[in-house]
Amino acid sequence: MKIVTTAENLKTYQKYLRIIETIEKFLQENNYLKLDLPVLSPALIPESYLEIFKTEFRYLDTKDNLFLTPSPELFIKRLLSEGIGDCYSMGKSFRNSEPNSPKHQPEFTMLEWYKVEKDYKYMAQEVLKMLSAISRELFGKNTIAYQGKSVSFDKWEEMTVAESFKKYADISAEELFDPEKFVLKAKNKGYVIDGFTYMDIWSQVYAQEIENNLGTSGYPTVLFDYPVQFSALSKPNSDGKTAQRFEFYIEGIELGNCFSELTDAPLQKKRFTEDDRERSRSGKIEHPVDWGFIESLEKGLPESTGIAIGVERLGMIFTNAKNIEDLKLISIK
Amino acid sequence: MAIQAGNLKRGEFIMHLDDIWQVQKTEFYSPGKGSALMRSKLKNVSSGKTVDYNYKSNESIETVDVTSIEMQYLYKDVENAFFMDNQSYQQYELLLSVIGSVIEYFKEGESMYVYVHDEKALNIRPPVSVTLKVIQTEDAARGDTVSGAKKEAELETGVKIMVPLFIKKGEMIVVNPELGEYTGRA
Repeated sequence: MKIVTTAENLKTYQKYLRIIETIEKFLQENNYLKLDLPVLSPALIPESYLEIFKTEFRYLDTKDNLFLTPSPELFIKRLLSEGIGDCYSMGKSFRNSEPNSPKHQPEFTMLEWYKVEKDYKYMAQEVLKMLSAISRELFGKNTIAYQGKSVSFDKWEEMTVAESFKKYADISAEELFDPEKFVLKAKNKGYVIDGFTYMDIWSQVYAQEIENNLGTSGYPTVLFDYPVQFSALSKPNSDGKTAQRFEFYIEGIELGNCFSELTDAPLQKKRFTEDDRERSRSGKIEHPVDWGFIESLEKGLPESTGIAIGVERLGMIFTNAKNIEDLKLISIK
Repeated sequence: MAIQAGNLKRGEFIMHLDDIWQVQKTEFYSPGKGSALMRSKLKNVSSGKTVDYNYKSNESIETVDVTSIEMQYLYKDVENAFFMDNQSYQQYELLLSVIGSVIEYFKEGESMYVYVHDEKALNIRPPVSVTLKVIQTEDAARGDTVSGAKKEAELETGVKIMVPLFIKKGEMIVVNPELGEYTGRA
């Protein structure tokens, strides 16, 4: 790997800074408290599909393992259960084993913001207002052009995950939520299924047949109610199949991921144990599980909704960039 | 040979849906729900058709063994380009839609490498650069010194590309045929 300087991106970078300023202004005007959080932690939330960066603190003959946080969530939820109220954090997050691509780097800027006493549907409206605020600040109007396509922030295109699978992949809700039927359907479509889980194959079909269609109708798309299997930290819906999670897209690019937060400590504990076991099984870097997080939930996490947004990706949309590197003055490649 | 999709590289030939495809582009993608993926653009070597396909990054993919043979580029018609093995004199043909626009940078009679599998040509192996003569370009207007300014030039194969203002008719220039970009004076 090497350090690459791209000072010629200065103009785009300055525009990106204005986007960040607008986001912070929007959040502060709406009374979200800014949080300044650590990026090194001795324990993490176990997430079966994420690899992490491990380092250590040394002093004389003592050594303590520390881990770069893949998300600030573990800190924020603690503070929420202490009653801190609406808040946000914008800072670096780290994901190992994810090579540079035009839309992602292993070190990236993540915005997480939380609203108490509200759910994911409320958050969707809040996000639309923020997108609109950025558009008006940068262009003086509620419409932008991304790679030659017009995107208006007047409204969402709203769709459930089940509706999207029906529309774009001809997979019924019955097939979608039944792992056995889903895998069979995928096999008939020509996907390789041997040795892979329902979640693996689901992810592949989703990327292959659904995602490219999202956010291409002239409006951003909010896709909601994911299968419970994909929503380890979100509140389940009463149908028993889906959870209160949404993602939003512009021109096929996933920009953010929102939950109604799971406040049920025993259920969260069960999901932690399962995810930790799956991490071990798949040979991921071991880390202490943050059981303090469960204790915070036991103490009482208020009903709340939180969203994580890839800030550079959002920057790409509003600067009409095709590659994350176009926003940067320094890249590690 | 089988490889993991996460290790796929541009230019490789692979089996996909019982057919041979050449990898045009790859991009790692971790959607954070289920398996990480390798987004790939594949070109079918029999039809020139391209598809986007997302592999699970740890899915096994069968690669196709190819030999690269030096051949003479004979000529092209509206659909195909024809080549001859310099050693065996055996002739091969390739669809223009498989080769792509890179063919426009080659002169008939030139030598180049062609990938062959099972007696069938799959694609050419384009060189990093080719040297071609500028046969037509306007002289730059005096005083036009904007840095990085470009003008159109027609090269001896008939292809037109953008070149710096100081390039004159009759000069030999170096071009990257895959990008169709001027890289320097010869």
